[in-house]
Amino acid sequence: MEVGMLPISASKRGKLLAAGYTTLDAIARASPTHLARGFPFQFQFSTLLSFSNWVCIYVQKFLFFSPTHYLTLTDIDVSESEATEILNLASKPSALERPNGSHTAVVGDLDNILGGGIKCKEVTEIGGVPGIGKTQIGIQLAVNVQIPQEYGGLGGKAIYIDTEGSFMVERVLQIAEACIEDMAEYSRHFHKDFQACDVKMHPNNILENIFYFRVCSYTEQIALINYLDKFITENKDVKILIVDSVTFHFRQDFDDMALRTRLLSEMALKLMKLAKKFRLAVVMFNQVTTKHIEGSFQLTLALGDSWSHSCTNRIILFWNGNERHAFIDKSPSLKSASAPYSVTTRGIRNSTSSCKRIKMM
Amino acid sequence: MRAENLLQLQHRTQKCTLGCPVLDRCLAGGVPCASVTEFVGESGCGKTQLCLQLALSAQLPPSHGGLSASSIFIHTEFPFPFRRLRHLSRAFRASHPDLPCSDPCDRVFLRAVHSAHELLNLIPTIETFLLHSKSPWRPVRIIVIDSIAALFRSDFENTGSDLRRRSSLFFGISGGLRQLAKRFGIAVVVTNQVVDLIGDGDVSFGSLGNGLYSSGRRVCPALGLAWAHCVNSRLFLSKDEDEPPVKTRKMRVVFAPHLPHSSCEYVIKGEGVFGVEMMQHREEEINL
Repeated sequence: MEVGMLPISASKRGKLLAAGYTTLDAIARASPTHLARGFPFQFQFSTLLSFSNWVCIYVQKFLFFSPTHYLTLTDIDVSESEATEILNLASKPSALERPNGSHTAVVGDLDNILGGGIKCKEVTEIGGVPGIGKTQIGIQLAVNVQIPQEYGGLGGKAIYIDTEGSFMVERVLQIAEACIEDMAEYSRHFHKDFQACDVKMHPNNILENIFYFRVCSYTEQIALINYLDKFITENKDVKILIVDSVTFHFRQDFDDMALRTRLLSEMALKLMKLAKKFRLAVVMFNQVTTKHIEGSFQLTLALGDSWSHSCTNRIILFWNGNERHAFIDKSPSLKSASAPYSVTTRGIRNSTSSCKRIKMM
Repeated sequence: MRAENLLQLQHRTQKCTLGCPVLDRCLAGGVPCASVTEFVGESGCGKTQLCLQLALSAQLPPSHGGLSASSIFIHTEFPFPFRRLRHLSRAFRASHPDLPCSDPCDRVFLRAVHSAHELLNLIPTIETFLLHSKSPWRPVRIIVIDSIAALFRSDFENTGSDLRRRSSLFFGISGGLRQLAKRFGIAVVVTNQVVDLIGDGDVSFGSLGNGLYSSGRRVCPALGLAWAHCVNSRLFLSKDEDEPPVKTRKMRVVFAPHLPHSSCEYVIKGEGVFGVEMMQHREEEINL
């Protein structure tokens, strides 16, 4: 890999080249001491993080191989605490693997508008009318998070909290089988040497790596989320937490709406904390309700306005004629966009052309 | 609270047959246990017939697609069709002579309910019954509520506070039913009515059931959006009388976590409800 291909600023690239580092291999082989001495620019922690994927991997690699050079990091204008943090990151391979911490969420068009997938360390809320495919997306995410890193996934495990009872094991099996077939296809096309990996994945493994909780009341739901901290500490490789749906139990038995708001925001805070602490993606599903605005009724997500502050990203699923669409309603990093998708036997896929859909019906 | 291992859960959710292989195929085996299924349709399209038949076919052993279980039938529309149940059970006994139960009607527990609050208060009673009943006809694996809409369509006014009270009741009832369904592996079936759709309607409701036609009218399920969140699967029953002697009835999957959109025609005969193979129709649809 050429240094010239890195997505860093031209001046930095020039300095790297001038210092004699023309390939990433060269950077990787150089010890931190050499790098520190030879580096023509201040190697700050923030720049490090803003580097592309590859640099992160390589930086991680040499930090990982020579932790004894820890002190030399101070030579390159990294404070001690930052250096500790880099080392911590480096010892957890997946943390820096993708700078966004994003993972291949769903497929194709949906990933495109999401900038690569559902982001780790963030809380994403997805809402839509019944039958739009919320549970299907949830199952797809629980399966996709297990795609090994060689195939661009996270290779993690999933926690699925089911409050509505819509989770069907036979459907998970269907999607898991399709996912493994797709991976086999992918490896045949692009890599001849990943055959060994195919053997490792089996639909049963995928089922095994989904921790399923069925929750029957809102007290149970809150208790479970309090307990998750302990649970995830014991099961470190959990990479996604799916709550399907966060809403259901909070729409019954509440006369005191202030109490409900308090409970909800407390729960949201805990979920955010989990997302941050364990670097996992939290996905909550929400239901929709009608809201009376200026004389007309409009569809909005349930749980009210104060709840809408409690998620980082918000995606709304809606019907456009006969086609399912996803729309990014709120996100700090993405522009609002919408993309069509369809739910097939094999899981969530790009929307097919309309003539094909008629045949399927 | 512990995580459940999916490998130890049954790979296929247990299903209860509807008593007809064609209808079962459309539903991938029948009505799923531990989940709430809704039959929606206008009056006279066979909702109650299907429910009665389900209550009987649940008594079949698992080898025949049943659950070897009794059922609780909660009816809100009066009178209860005793004669029809007798009729069906005679036909049922004739076709399954090897069942241990002498009279299939013994295994259907009946209960009348007059208001939504009564239904809500009944749920703990059912739980006690399921836990402590000494009845020889245990276990109970089917709960039918026929119909849920009748409870809600009279008592509530169209004002903000009443509607809120109503939807809070929806979630209360559905939460209770789902809890029972999960705890005892019960298949809960509710029936719902339809309302006519006037004007363009709201397209964003999409597959909630708008754009469904029954008897040539555009209809949608009653009780609105909040209730739609309260069921896991929704099946739509419709009838059409284009040429008066020929009645076509159709069952359609509106949404379900485990089923694709599909439909199936059926007929109601003296012996029960039966699906009709519709190869011809499928070909026509493809040609369209």
